[in-house]
Amino acid sequence: MPSQRSPPPLEFAHGTTTLSFAFQGGIIAAVDSRASLGSFVGSKTTQKVLPVSSHILGTMAGGAADCQHWIRALKKEALLHELTEDGRRMSVARASRILANHLYALRGYDLSVGTMIMGYDDHGINSKDDHDTRSSTPYIYYADNTGLRIQGDIFAVGSGSTFALGILDTEENRYNLSVDEAVALGIKAIRHATFRDAYSGGYINVFLITPKDGWRKVYTEDIARNPEIWKALQTEINENS
Amino acid sequence: MMEAGMHMPPKRKPLRSGANTSTLDQRRQEGLIHNSEGPNASLGKIDHGVTENPYERRFSPYDFNGGTCVAIAGPDYAVIAADTRLSSGYEILSRNMSKLHPLSGKCILGSAGCKTDVDQLRSVLDIKMKMYLHNHRKTMSTPAVAQMLGNTLYYKRFFPYYAFNVFGGIDEEGKGAVYSYDAIGSFERTPVTATGSGQAYIIPLLDNVIAHRNRLDEKRDLPKEEVVEIVKDAFLSCGERDIYTGDQVEISVITKDGIETSFFALKRD
Repeated sequence: MPSQRSPPPLEFAHGTTTLSFAFQGGIIAAVDSRASLGSFVGSKTTQKVLPVSSHILGTMAGGAADCQHWIRALKKEALLHELTEDGRRMSVARASRILANHLYALRGYDLSVGTMIMGYDDHGINSKDDHDTRSSTPYIYYADNTGLRIQGDIFAVGSGSTFALGILDTEENRYNLSVDEAVALGIKAIRHATFRDAYSGGYINVFLITPKDGWRKVYTEDIARNPEIWKALQTEINENS
Repeated sequence: MMEAGMHMPPKRKPLRSGANTSTLDQRRQEGLIHNSEGPNASLGKIDHGVTENPYERRFSPYDFNGGTCVAIAGPDYAVIAADTRLSSGYEILSRNMSKLHPLSGKCILGSAGCKTDVDQLRSVLDIKMKMYLHNHRKTMSTPAVAQMLGNTLYYKRFFPYYAFNVFGGIDEEGKGAVYSYDAIGSFERTPVTATGSGQAYIIPLLDNVIAHRNRLDEKRDLPKEEVVEIVKDAFLSCGERDIYTGDQVEISVITKDGIETSFFALKRD
């Protein structure tokens, strides 16, 4: 009789949902805003998208303090790079590498970090474009506390990532979406993840990065105050009162 | 994140079947022999994992001294309040121990958790405030202190300060600024926050009344006197349901003119 192996211990992966994908109009980063202290909601308004430079964003999943601290350390190094390298911005590859190296050095110390470093590079770095045009290749790197660092076009990180990927992967025309459609896709994926995942919720925040303008926040919504539901609730209460 | 654990003695597990439970125990039950006799005499009631299933005893550097802190930001004021009870286990060590600590004339740190870690954290922050003052010839601004507190907590990421903090003050524009922290330094500026043993009782109440969430009536600006009354109500409710909160509430209101502190009595049970 073959002996039964007990199932591996349940790994609790970073209570949150963050996602990002590249498309023709830029890079979309969409996140929820719930921070859980065990089963208590510690914060409904956490900022899970953290700026690294004018053209690079980092997302937060896992331990809030670990992500906040190490991405801020990365921000400091990116700024120092700009100041010492004659105004040239740090590339996404370099930024993500610096972070991944810090995390690899602290392997075994029980950090919890699952982040995506994404953005565009300055002109002339890693691109086949000539020096006058800004590089238009989007870069998204996933880095985590094991020291893993991988590049990709689409990532979702956190306990709600599987639900978000379900929505993202069923959109076959993802690369050719317009900006509005891509933002809507990000919103839909996060909303679905917060619906199904107990550890995600709060606000949906969506950011867009373009080679020309850098990053900016394009959408924020309080899930509790979803406009259609809120309006329906108000009319119902007004009718009944 | 540290969990507030009750230190209860481990449960006695039943003896494995087949063990000899007859003669000695029967005689003990009949009152013929006491624990001071027999093979387990030297152990008395403490089992060191020898006769029953092994368990681990371990020294914990932390103690949980309880308490709740609250902070609320207004348009030109910040209210920060905390109870004054100091407990350990089921005992009350003091009914009059302050959890609030002004770091500058414009900001106050409120900390619950392990008193010794709180005291050490305050010392470290005071020293850093003084060094900044000497180096830059001006007092640290409230947002800068908030970041410094976050960094100080993360500095001890692998042996944390068991301190649950709220930080409130007036920022450079004269508006109220309140920051909430976790034990290792992640922080966020929020309009309202509470921390400590009564956190789960107070935050939902403040979410509804102060942050005006899940209400259909019009939101209005609250004057600081009304906010103080709401804080008193919140602590009354919290004191009813949380054993570590009670005795007295110390309420400090910070405005650009300074800090005013008042006390409000709670139930001492």
